[in-house]
Amino acid sequence: MSETQTVEQASTRKVTIKAWRFNAETDYLPYTKEYTMEVGKDELILDLMNRIKWEHDGSFSYRRSCRHGICGACAIKVNGKAVLACKQNAIELLDMFDNDITLEPSSKKRAIKDMIIDKSDFWEKHTAVKPYVIRDIESHPQAETKQSIEEFNNFLDSDLCIQCGACHYSCPALEVNDAFLGPAALNSAYRFTVDPRDEAGDERLSITAELGSGVWDCVKCFECAEACPKDIDPIGKIGKLHNLQFVRGIAESNIATRHAEGFLRGMKKTGFLDEADIVTYSEGYLGMYKHLGTAIKMMKTGKIHWHSGIPFIDSIPKIKNLDEVQKLIEISQTNKL
Amino acid sequence: MDVKIYEYDAVIVGSGLAGLAAAKELTEAGKKTAVITKLHPLRSHSGAAQGGINAALGAEDSTELHEFDTVKGSDYLADQDCVELMCTKAPETIRWAEHMGAVFSRDKEGNIAIRPFGGQSQPRACYAKDRTGLTLLQTIYEQADRAGIEVYDEWYASDIIYDDGKVSGVVAYNIKDSEVAIFNAKVTMFATGGNGRLFRFNSNAHANTGDALSIVARHGLPLEDMEFVQFHPSGLGGSGVLISEAARGEGGRLLNSLDERFMEKYAPNAMELASRDVVSRAIMEEVRQGRGVGKDGQSVKLDLTHLDPQIILTRLPELRELAIAFQGQDMLKEAIHISATAHYSMGGIPTNIDTQVQKNAAGDVVEGFYAAGECACVSVHGANRLGANSVLEAMLFGRHAGENMIKALDEGISLRKATVADADTCVNEMTTIKTSNGNERVPNLRNELQIGMTANAGVFRTKESLEKQLTLINDVLARFKNIRIDDKSKVFNTDLQEAIELGHMIESAKIVVVGALQREESRGGHYREDFPTRDDEKFMVHTYATMDEDYNVSIDWGKVTPGKFEPMERKY
Repeated sequence: MSETQTVEQASTRKVTIKAWRFNAETDYLPYTKEYTMEVGKDELILDLMNRIKWEHDGSFSYRRSCRHGICGACAIKVNGKAVLACKQNAIELLDMFDNDITLEPSSKKRAIKDMIIDKSDFWEKHTAVKPYVIRDIESHPQAETKQSIEEFNNFLDSDLCIQCGACHYSCPALEVNDAFLGPAALNSAYRFTVDPRDEAGDERLSITAELGSGVWDCVKCFECAEACPKDIDPIGKIGKLHNLQFVRGIAESNIATRHAEGFLRGMKKTGFLDEADIVTYSEGYLGMYKHLGTAIKMMKTGKIHWHSGIPFIDSIPKIKNLDEVQKLIEISQTNKL
Repeated sequence: MDVKIYEYDAVIVGSGLAGLAAAKELTEAGKKTAVITKLHPLRSHSGAAQGGINAALGAEDSTELHEFDTVKGSDYLADQDCVELMCTKAPETIRWAEHMGAVFSRDKEGNIAIRPFGGQSQPRACYAKDRTGLTLLQTIYEQADRAGIEVYDEWYASDIIYDDGKVSGVVAYNIKDSEVAIFNAKVTMFATGGNGRLFRFNSNAHANTGDALSIVARHGLPLEDMEFVQFHPSGLGGSGVLISEAARGEGGRLLNSLDERFMEKYAPNAMELASRDVVSRAIMEEVRQGRGVGKDGQSVKLDLTHLDPQIILTRLPELRELAIAFQGQDMLKEAIHISATAHYSMGGIPTNIDTQVQKNAAGDVVEGFYAAGECACVSVHGANRLGANSVLEAMLFGRHAGENMIKALDEGISLRKATVADADTCVNEMTTIKTSNGNERVPNLRNELQIGMTANAGVFRTKESLEKQLTLINDVLARFKNIRIDDKSKVFNTDLQEAIELGHMIESAKIVVVGALQREESRGGHYREDFPTRDDEKFMVHTYATMDEDYNVSIDWGKVTPGKFEPMERKY
C-alpha cells in the first residue's frame, strides 16, 4: 500500500529495486537486496521505501517524516545521485537509469543502518557558523523591525534550507577535506550575515574566511546546486560570501585572496587574464618554483610565454579599449588588499 | 536491563514550536531542561505549516475581531478566556518571532505582510511566502540552540511517571541503540503534536501518531474533545498532502466537474474563505452527488489560473512545486485536484489557561504536568480551528507553559525521586512487541484502521458508521496482541517503533470514535448526518474521555468558559 495511490494499471511498471543494506550492530559488510514491485506514475522514492518496509521486510530502515519535502529527513542517494525521497518521482529516475536503480545512504562511510547515517559532522559544521541571529532580543516587542522588500529578497531563499544534507554529502571538496564547512553550513552563514537584524556578520565572515575550512576551499564544481532539492543554489551563496569578505574588509591578504585579486590585477594591466602573474602575485617568486612543472606544460601548449612572470617584461599584449576596462574596474571595485 | 536515571528541573517531550518555545524560556532562566524528540527538532511538523500565523496587525483589524472570528469559528465551543489571552498576546508573539529572526514576507512599508484566510473578517495571517511554519520552527530552534538547550534527539518517550496526582518525569528509549532511561524531573511538559495519521487520507507527517495522547490515557487521565478532527479542504487528491488555505486566500476558486463555483450554494458571502469545516463538507457533498473530478471522482478543482502568475511565483512557490511533484499539475496552467484531508486535532490533553494538565472534568490539575500545542486542548479552537491559529497557539501557549514552569520551579516544586522500576512499563512494552510471535503484520492492521477511520469517522458521520468503526477498532485491538515484527535488532529499530505507535493510534482512534458516538449533534468539524444541527442545550460542553485497563472508554462532560460572545447561528 503506497502513500500515493497508483493511477491506472496500464501506467504502472514492474521493476526490481535494489537497496543497499547494512546494520552496524550485526553486519561486517554491506550487501544489496532486490525487491520486485509494480511502480505507478505518481509514486515517489519514499513510497518505494515504504513498500519495501511494509510489504517485504520490516527491518529496512530510513529516516522520514513530513512526506512533502519540507522536513529534510529523507535525503538519500539513488545510483549516487542525491535525492529527497519524498519529492522525487520514481518513474523519472527509472527512466533516467534504464530501470536499474539502487537506493543508497547519503554517505556510505557514515551508514549506521541501511539509509540511516550518522550526521554528526553535518550538525557540527552547521553549529560552527553560529546559525542564529545574534543580538539582544526584546522579549515583549511592541513593533516589528522594518525590513524592505529588497532586504527580504536579499536572503535569496537561503532561509529555505531544510538541512537535509543532500549538498553536504555530494560535495567533493568535503570528501577530501574534513575541515571544510561545506555548502549547507556556508549557505547558513550567508543567511544570517545578510540578515539586517543580526550583529555578528563580521564574526561569521571571519569564520568563513579561514583557509582550510572556509569559502576559499570550495572548488566551484556546482555539485551542491545540482543536489539541492529546494533549488537554493548554495554555491551562489558561497560566491556572495567571497564578495562580502572584501566589501566588509574582512578578507586578509593570503594566497587565496591574492589569487582572487590576481585576476583583477591582470585585467587592469592588460585586459587579458595573465596566468603567470596570478601565480606570482598570490604565491610570490619563490612560490612559482612549485608550479614549474605545470608552467613548462603550459608553455608547450602556448598558454604562457617563456618570459611570462619575469618582472619588467610585458609578455601580454594590451587590449584595444583598456581604458574602458580600467574605468569599469575602478567604479566597481569594492576593496583592495 | 540497565536503566539510567537523569535528573532535570524540567523535561519537555516534543520539539516543535510549543516545546522549543518553552525550552528556550526555561533554559534562559537557568533551569536545567531536557528536550526529548523522536525526530530531530528541525523535522518537527510545525515546520510544515504553510499559510500564516494570525495576529490583528492590520489597520482595520482589532484583537476583539480576532477573538470573535475565533469563537465563531470554534462553533462556540472554545473557552473564551483562553481565546482572549491568545488574541491579545498574538501581536507581541509574532513580533517576538520576528525579532528573533523569522523571515516574514513584507509589505511596501516594510511591515510584516498579511493575507486573508478562511473564516476571518479581516486579512490577518502574517506569512513568510508559503513556508511560515518553516521559518518559525527554524527561528525558535536557532534561538533555543543559542540559549544552549539540551536535546535528546531520536529518543522515543514512551511513558510518564504518574503517581498520586503528580507527574515526575518520563521514561524514554534511545532509538539509536534501544537504551532505556528515566528523565526524572520536577516539571514535565508534553508538546507532542497531533494524531492525523489515524486517517487514511491525511495531510500529516509520518510522525504524527498521537503517542502522548494515549500515554496520558493509559494512566486513567482524561482526553478532551477528541471527536473534533479538522478536515482541511485542500489536500492533494491521492496523497492528502496539504495545499495551504493561502491558495484560496490569494484568490483561488473551487470548481466541480461542471465547472460551477459551488461555494455559492454553501457560503454565499465568504465563498471559498468560509471556515474549514464548512468548505470541507461542501467539497465532499459535491463529490457525493457525483460532481467530483479525478480518477475516482473523489476530488474537486482548485483553480488559480485567473491570478497574476507573479502572485503564485512569489507568494505560493512551494505549493506550485508540490502539485507538480505529486500529481503533475502546474497551477499556473491548470486547476489542481484537491479533496478534504484529515489535518488537525482540536482536542487533546485538557489544560487550564495556564497550560496545567487537568485530571478531571471539574478542572483539578495534575501536579508538575503541562501541555501545549496540538496535543493539548486549552481550548482555543473548540469544535473547529481557524487557519493560521495553530502555529499561533503552539508558540504562544508553549512559551506560556515555559513561563509557568519557571514559576512553579521558583516556588519550590519538589523532585520526587524516580526508581528503576518506573521504567517497567516501557521495558515490557518493548520486550512484548519484540518477542511477540503471532501472524499479524503492523502495516496491515494500521491500514485497516486508517481506511476505516476515513470511511466511517471522517467528514460525515452517522451512528451506524461510527459503530461499525468501533467494531473494527476492537477487532484491530485484539489482533494487535498477535503481531510479529521482522526487526529484532537494537539499532534504529523503526519496525519496533511503528508497532508501538500503532498501539497508541488504536487507542486514540477509539477515544475519537466513542466521543463522536456520544455527541449526538453537529458542531464544527464533527458532523453527524443523523443529528445535523447544533444542540446547545445538551452539548455546549467539553467531552472528557477516560479509558480503563480493558480499553473501555467512558465519557464525562465539562463546562465551556463563556465570555463576551453569545452563541449565534454560524453563517459564512
